[in-house]
Amino acid sequence: MAGFMQQIINGLSIGSVYALMAVGYSLVYSIMNFSNFAHGGVIMIGAYIGFFLLAAYKMPFYVAFALAGAGAGLLALIIERVAYSPLRKRKAPFLYFIISAMGASIFLENIVIATIGPTFKTYPKVFSTQPITVGSLSVGRLDLIMFVISAISLAILIFVIEKTKIGMAIRGTAYSVRASALMGVNTDHVIMIVFGLGGLLGGIAGMLFGMKYTVYPQIGFITIKSFIAAVFGGLGSLPGAVIGSVLLGIIETLTSGYLSSQFRDLIAFALLIVVLIVRPMGLMGKFTEDKA
Amino acid sequence: MLSIRDLNVYYGGIHALKGVSIDVEEGQIVSIIGANGAGKSTLLNAISGMVKPKEGRILFKGKELPPAPHKIVELGISQVPEGRLIFANLTVKDNLMMGAYLRKDKIGIEKDLEKVFALFPRMKERIHQMAGTLSGGEQQMLAIGRGLMSNPDLILLDEPSLGLAPLLVKTIFDIIESIQQMRKTILLVEQNAYKALSIADKAYVLEQGKIVKEGSGKELIKDKSIQEAYLGKKQKSEETLA
Repeated sequence: MAGFMQQIINGLSIGSVYALMAVGYSLVYSIMNFSNFAHGGVIMIGAYIGFFLLAAYKMPFYVAFALAGAGAGLLALIIERVAYSPLRKRKAPFLYFIISAMGASIFLENIVIATIGPTFKTYPKVFSTQPITVGSLSVGRLDLIMFVISAISLAILIFVIEKTKIGMAIRGTAYSVRASALMGVNTDHVIMIVFGLGGLLGGIAGMLFGMKYTVYPQIGFITIKSFIAAVFGGLGSLPGAVIGSVLLGIIETLTSGYLSSQFRDLIAFALLIVVLIVRPMGLMGKFTEDKA
Repeated sequence: MLSIRDLNVYYGGIHALKGVSIDVEEGQIVSIIGANGAGKSTLLNAISGMVKPKEGRILFKGKELPPAPHKIVELGISQVPEGRLIFANLTVKDNLMMGAYLRKDKIGIEKDLEKVFALFPRMKERIHQMAGTLSGGEQQMLAIGRGLMSNPDLILLDEPSLGLAPLLVKTIFDIIESIQQMRKTILLVEQNAYKALSIADKAYVLEQGKIVKEGSGKELIKDKSIQEAYLGKKQKSEETLA
């Protein structure tokens, strides 16, 4: 039983980081109806920014952390301006957006390979590896910090979306870009804010992920799992993305703990396929009902 | 208040508006009637900045309108779009607050909220309900209320009676007249030609992107060709005209 609880705790920790990544996919999808595959690249750059600030510039953790988030948020904004905004202005089909996203993703990966190199980088040790033990359960300090930071970031995001004026504009624009524009919402700004927020959280998540594992140019591919989590929960739904991510994290750690870590990704992708067959809109799919 | 001169709009390859000119004076209800696809919605969307005209001028209070839709709302023009487009995922209150999105005067917003509730008491009862759960008629009321929340000088109504039961259609037209009494100017686009003409100070008939007739509502309602084409009347049944 203690072993099981231990797996759940580990699952919550990694699941919360997936959630930070997944909300970035969901936010963009909810407004623009396409999956922003460049998000993985943004997460990767966040992980590298954090790594260099810590390893090369010996900055304090929290400074590096804030800058990784800010840098990734800025990058997401630039991608929006360069890769998507011109397509939006021309009212291009969604397929073009996806191709543009893939292009941006490949570009980011290769620019890192060309400048920094393809090798794995290990974050310097920031937190003691001595776990915190409560009774028979023990939690790694880093795992705990990952969970706390992710939970606080998600709570702030949900507060902004549900309780502020700009959050109302984001929800309104997610329902109808046209209607929001007619209400006087500058929908172009809303889209930029959404990319910035998604990138900021993605950068934070990338740094946490890099600290837990390693940093390498293809780390963006691993973040595809957070995309699965977003689909699992219902693309476009923020609560769905969070719940899907936490469930995915727990399923993964249980698979690694009781079966084999080699089955971990297999189970994750199998889960995606099953969800898409059984419930294509995900657990909490976007509300699309409209009385004619 | 609003004057449009030689407006030409292309939708894809289609020449949707062909040299349209209209005038809307302050305090008037101006109706535009015409068949489906005549270009009525396109005209309202051109005013709102949702489609870009190829040629022509749109002057509001003597000045050319800016291109961005949110700037146009800021100047005092709001649109209640066809199909209502209420935010189904937001509460009734948040829908109304979206209408007031650009305003910063909290007291003024509260006052206008009360005015909307006076006009639509049912909206007050359902203030915390998700707008997607409202009936079709309630959604139309919410859409009109939302359009009033920006405190516009000119309100553009696109087919407000579409898909509503006859009794509700009457309610909606009564409300349009009450809105006029709130010193608002109204540009109304309707397929329900009889109703639209009977409340109009001035009306235009739009056919295939062209204004083919204009006059006061009363004049047009008596016009034989309009009776045949839009009011469903045969030449000799004038006595049935209410």
